[in-house]
Amino acid sequence: MTGPKQTKHIQHVYIIDDDDAVRSAMCMLFESENISYVAFSSGNVFLENYDSTMSGCLVLDIRMPGLSGLEIQKQLIILKSVLPIIFISGHGDLPMAVKAMRRGAINFLRKPINEQELLDGIREAFEQESGVRQEQHSQEQLYKQYALLTQRERQVLSLVTNGETNKAIALELGISERTVEVHRSHVMTKFEVKTLAQLIRVAITLE
Amino acid sequence: MAYRCLNESHWPMDFVSNGCFDLCGYHREEIESKRVLWGDFTHPDDIDEVDRLVSRAANNRIPFEVEYRIVTKNGEIKWVWERGRVVDETNDGTAILEGFITDITSKKMSENALIHAEAYAQAIVESAAEAVITINKDGQIESFNRAAQTIFGYSLVEIFHANCAQLVPPSQRYEFELALNSHRATRTLAGIEFEVTGLKKTGEEFPINYSIAKIEAVEEDKYVMLIRDLSRQRKNERELREQRELLAHTDRLNTLGEMAAGIAHEINQPLTAISMRAQSGLRFLKNTEPNLLRVEEGLNMISSQAHRAGAVIQRIQLMARRQEYRRRESIDPSLLIREIHEFAQLEAQSRDFRIRLNLCSSPLNVFCDTVQIQQVVLNLLRNGMDSMSAANCQRNTEIVVQTECYQRTVKISVIDCGTGVSDELAEQLYEPFRSTKDFGMGIGLSISRSIITAHESKLSFSNNATSGATFFFTLMGVTEPRQ
Repeated sequence: MTGPKQTKHIQHVYIIDDDDAVRSAMCMLFESENISYVAFSSGNVFLENYDSTMSGCLVLDIRMPGLSGLEIQKQLIILKSVLPIIFISGHGDLPMAVKAMRRGAINFLRKPINEQELLDGIREAFEQESGVRQEQHSQEQLYKQYALLTQRERQVLSLVTNGETNKAIALELGISERTVEVHRSHVMTKFEVKTLAQLIRVAITLE
Repeated sequence: MAYRCLNESHWPMDFVSNGCFDLCGYHREEIESKRVLWGDFTHPDDIDEVDRLVSRAANNRIPFEVEYRIVTKNGEIKWVWERGRVVDETNDGTAILEGFITDITSKKMSENALIHAEAYAQAIVESAAEAVITINKDGQIESFNRAAQTIFGYSLVEIFHANCAQLVPPSQRYEFELALNSHRATRTLAGIEFEVTGLKKTGEEFPINYSIAKIEAVEEDKYVMLIRDLSRQRKNERELREQRELLAHTDRLNTLGEMAAGIAHEINQPLTAISMRAQSGLRFLKNTEPNLLRVEEGLNMISSQAHRAGAVIQRIQLMARRQEYRRRESIDPSLLIREIHEFAQLEAQSRDFRIRLNLCSSPLNVFCDTVQIQQVVLNLLRNGMDSMSAANCQRNTEIVVQTECYQRTVKISVIDCGTGVSDELAEQLYEPFRSTKDFGMGIGLSISRSIITAHESKLSFSNNATSGATFFFTLMGVTEPRQ
């Protein structure tokens, strides 16, 4: 199967930290590594600017006045965001850390941060995010292709993936075996697949 | 009563004057007929002595005077004074006496009373715990009671006629003598005590207080000084203060422990910034074209963040400081509050409450132990925030520290909007080791109260009209020019 094209989004690190010194130091670190970033001084400012096309990952201070890191995470889950979150915490925030990880944070770093760990974490987060986006993208693609199928083609696809032979399908639908073959070939073309195995995988994804 | 008798056993009287009835209750005839003899009513305890004295005088043919007791007809005991002499003698050589006997009971009684009173006073002076010293007008010591000897270590002989200034250290003698002189000029000194340093014979110095009074009704000016050894009292006071300070210190350390998370956060912030700046600096240097401008910027930030961490540590030291050598000082109440406010922010920020300062501006300073008063304010702030957490207050809710300046005093209040103090809670509020919190030691409020009490004030509270409670206390103000 030919996958969808790679996403063209540029990935950013979205930094949310109320502490000016920490925030600007983090910006400088990313700059030195040529990682693009956008920094916010509070969760509210970030959420006001949030849109679903944002790509990359979040670095979130867990302890902030106003919205805490955990609360920002909660809001993003409601917004169905796919941005991976790396939490930064101070001393003694272990219970919060556990909570954050349960909710799907990908990493949790203690202050003062080991910079290499942070940078590695960000690369990992970028990969994870583009993976998720890719999957999302290919799924969307499949739905679009599925939408192009005619009613008869959908029936044929369903029966094929159930393991029925052309003969059985022809009998079931009251059409000729030859016509079944034509429908089947159209379905394969529309989904851009060449083998039956590939077609079955598409069908499973669609389910 | 005049008489004439023989110097024989019991002195038979030939003649007595009419005064005999008043004196002894017997009629003249009873005595002159010798139905009763004078010796019969002479007091049995005194008769031998009287006999001895009279006989000696009679034998030597000299006049005599004697005082003794008689028992009158109705059993009353009287003191009499007798003066007599030999006027003649009988054929067998028995002396014939003539004389005069008079009732001196009332005089004798008052004399006795005086002797008693003196003995009484002496006993008081000797058994007193205070040193009692009399001095003459030149300040020379004339008496030195037992307590004085114990306290100062001198015997009366050693100190007799020494100047009383010897009882204070040489460095303080001049002032002491000046004070004594001015005391002499002052009439009403009763009950006023003066504190000075005393000097023992051993050379040891110790705290004493004394009061002084003039002894009236003596020809020469004399003064009595009452001196009390204050060593034990001072020691007790010191021990009490040390205990309180130890407890206060424990409470501060405990508070620090409870605030550790907030403190760690405050230190980790600059450390995080420093570390990241250093790492990015290294990366900028490793680039093929090192970006020195960015490296310089990073180094500047590193330096300022290091200072930021240092400032946090200074604030902590304020709390961890032990105060063995600390004294009360005069301090601007606003400065006192601002300092502790910075520290309390550590807690407030992490709990999402806001501390608002509402400070009066006044020329008054307060006289207090700054660290301890700050500790009280911190305790009240943290209690207030706990109460606000318990009441599920909105984030950003305010807790207010307020000072109000009056003419002579400054009132400091901490106003929260938490749950307030229920009647039930109020009863056990200040009890040590009682805590409404899961992790509290429960000594905060009780040590706060003892600190305020030691500042001659009272820690009070009242529930607010809307919500929460106000804790407040008042400190004495001192006017002092500010720099």
